Amino acid sequence: MTISKMLLSAAGFAMVAGLAQADTSGKRIALSNNYAGNSWRQAMLETFQETGKQAVDDGVVAAADAYTTSENQATEQAAQIQNMILQGYDAIVLNAASPTALNGAVKEACDAGLVVVSFDGIVTEPCAWRIAVDFAAMGKEEVDYLATRLPDGGKLLEIRGLAGVFVDDEISKGIHEGVAEHDQFEIVGSVHGDWAQDVSQKAVAGILPSLPPVVGVVTQGGDGYGAAQAFKAAGRDTPLIVLGNRQDELKWWSEQHEANGYETMSLSIAPGVASLAFWVAQQVLDGADVPKDLTVPFLKITQDNLAEALETTPEGSVANVTYTLDDAKTVISDAK
Amino acid sequence: MSALSRPWIWSWLAAAAAFALTLVLTSGRGGGELAYAALSFGAFAAIVGLGQMLVITLGPGNVDLSIPATMTLAATLALKAMSSDPGTAWLGLITALAVGVGTGLANYALIFLLRLPPIIATLAASLVYQSVAIWSNRGLRIKPPEGLADFATGRFLGLPNVAWVGLVLAIVVWVVLERSVWGRWLLATGQNLRVARLAGVPVELVRATTYVSVAVFASLAGYLLASFSGGAALNMGAEYLLMSIAVVVIGGSSIAGGNSNVPGVWGAALFMFLVVSMLNSYGAGAGVRNVLTGAMIIAIVIAASTRRTRA
Repeated sequence: MTISKMLLSAAGFAMVAGLAQADTSGKRIALSNNYAGNSWRQAMLETFQETGKQAVDDGVVAAADAYTTSENQATEQAAQIQNMILQGYDAIVLNAASPTALNGAVKEACDAGLVVVSFDGIVTEPCAWRIAVDFAAMGKEEVDYLATRLPDGGKLLEIRGLAGVFVDDEISKGIHEGVAEHDQFEIVGSVHGDWAQDVSQKAVAGILPSLPPVVGVVTQGGDGYGAAQAFKAAGRDTPLIVLGNRQDELKWWSEQHEANGYETMSLSIAPGVASLAFWVAQQVLDGADVPKDLTVPFLKITQDNLAEALETTPEGSVANVTYTLDDAKTVISDAK
Repeated sequence: MSALSRPWIWSWLAAAAAFALTLVLTSGRGGGELAYAALSFGAFAAIVGLGQMLVITLGPGNVDLSIPATMTLAATLALKAMSSDPGTAWLGLITALAVGVGTGLANYALIFLLRLPPIIATLAASLVYQSVAIWSNRGLRIKPPEGLADFATGRFLGLPNVAWVGLVLAIVVWVVLERSVWGRWLLATGQNLRVARLAGVPVELVRATTYVSVAVFASLAGYLLASFSGGAALNMGAEYLLMSIAVVVIGGSSIAGGNSNVPGVWGAALFMFLVVSMLNSYGAGAGVRNVLTGAMIIAIVIAASTRRTRA
């Protein structure tokens, strides 16, 4: 048998294997995560581990292991990805420290035959899949909601996230688009709350004395409760604060609703997006035709489902959804 | 000695200027509100700053980088111990302070027994503390007991309670530094470790107590901050790493050690809050804000240090 024949038959086997599908039971999937230091990331890791363990028990995959870097550094995560290649994983589910700095390591993984699915913190390397959130739409939706509640408009305070981060720019862009569309609103102040209650509380307390009365607060998640505390401490009326699905925010909302009929809206991405990324990786390994760019819907809580959301969210955590294989298939078919 | 030659005066002047500039914008409205907010939030920076000042006074290379992790761990364990039950505030306080003593001793053990440079030792240890905090409650936020939350956000004689705590601590630290033997030992150690040792100062004891003090201050700040903002969060201490060093330097203490400055720490803590409020009020973007804050810090440090060398 000549070498070319050998190659041909090998290619033939590969094709047959590719067409056969449905067997990922021998495949190993790893989660590469850049940061674990807040409640959202903790919920994300927990969902991934639950989904992964169930999938391993059911024999869908051979392993689903989660790894987190300690310092939230792109260089450290690049080294982690290289280790995963050496350890022989078949797929990497990735929440990246940087959209571009990991591209080299991701390319190496692709070249070594691994499937890379990035989510939340996505990478721009073309060989990877991306499960992105339309953050600008999220920001715009906040203003659209305020317009339905406050048709006369008024002055708004914007709480932004961590300066210089892609997500912060996108949400803020959406908010400003919304304000341009609903010109009865005007943003009179903007602070950076770093997506943390205590930082937001401090920033809002510092800018409030210089602000005229505000009717609404547009936020990015993780900052609503701190803003409410700052308004309370300054002796001001609580404006309409758009919340970000944290349990303490939802609890505060429900208490306010009981006390004085306060109504608002809460929206954020569910940490369970990690489980969606897991199933997308499994589908790619399975040989399914998956578009490279997928969009995950955000999780919205209104007065109608507040009680339910509050019940299912553990104290001090974030409202969550665990995505199933069917959810992943829906997201994939929607993207086609 | 004229007032301008005192290094601490510059941080107070800067804080007053930032305050005045904000009020110019609002034409005098909201001055009381802003001062109250500055005292509340400045208190946390002042408390961790006082601790960091003691360590920096120990001399070159001494710094505690585990402050954020100690704050998070102390707050997490204290709130877990209290589990929002009324009447457990003291239990929480003791838990937090015990965490502080523990992390302080651990830091010093790494520095003394393993001969690690303090920067490496405290940075490495902070990863362990942060991990213990994550492991102990998986990032959940537990509400402080109501009485404690009311205390942390309440006021006494018109000033925030947390500011009173910060003020009392500042006076204690000042008296200890200026009037006690331990304070003299600390300054002597910071000025020249070898000379201090030859002169009979128990330098290792001084270093050990200093590293425990800074951790206790950090854990107290974490306990108060968590009670103030409605629960411990895993990232709650993050901004106090650079903040604690900045307030020491802006406050006029020597970064080379051997020279500390208590009033300056409070002035700098107020300045750090007021300058961000001022720039936010004027609508400066994040980039401009960071550049201006950095430029102002450099200006104050230069002003404070040149005056000192001339005097």
